[in-house]
Amino acid sequence: MRVSLFRADEEQSVRELFARLEREVELVLVHGPEETPLPGARDIDFGGEAERLLHALADLGEHVSMRVTDQLEHEVERHPAVVVLADGEDTGIRYYGLPWGYELASVVGAVIEAGKVEPTLSPESLQVLDGLERDVRIDVFVTPT
Amino acid sequence: MLLAYRAALASPRVTASAVEATEFPTLADAMDVYAVPKIVIDGVPRYEGAVPERVFFQRLAAALVEVS
Repeated sequence: MRVSLFRADEEQSVRELFARLEREVELVLVHGPEETPLPGARDIDFGGEAERLLHALADLGEHVSMRVTDQLEHEVERHPAVVVLADGEDTGIRYYGLPWGYELASVVGAVIEAGKVEPTLSPESLQVLDGLERDVRIDVFVTPT
Repeated sequence: MLLAYRAALASPRVTASAVEATEFPTLADAMDVYAVPKIVIDGVPRYEGAVPERVFFQRLAAALVEVS
């Protein structure tokens, strides 16, 4: 079943953006060993919904693909998790949860950024990153609108 | 979120994760998430709100100096 994620004009914009990807971007959905609905939550199969969303996104670009796995081949901290690979390599980008509504733009953004060969950050920002002496974990808490 | 993603892409040392607060309420509570976006660096809640690139990286650098 093809899910319509966007209005027709928005979908066209996403297709155009995805057409410009310079690398192959793969979205890997990692299901957890047990994904139980939150108590009192709507009766939604988060894992299934995430799969449908990612399939629909992957349909919008020939350089975008998706895969589902239960195997923890990539380091993830919780489930469901989306791991973004570029040309087969882990980018270090994760999405935890179901990217509803506005948050879908985050995943679209992640695909577009991961598809770039050159970083788009300023030299000053890149300098901060070059100076890193250890691994850093940045978590951004978001909510759907 | 995009800035965090760009940081992850530009450095093998950085992992950037978006965490859906309503789906992980215990974690969101632990991180004092009352408003979003809430930025947490190495498990320590830092600030809320979207900031420009320069500020984002200044705060990232400051957070790292603080811990080490």
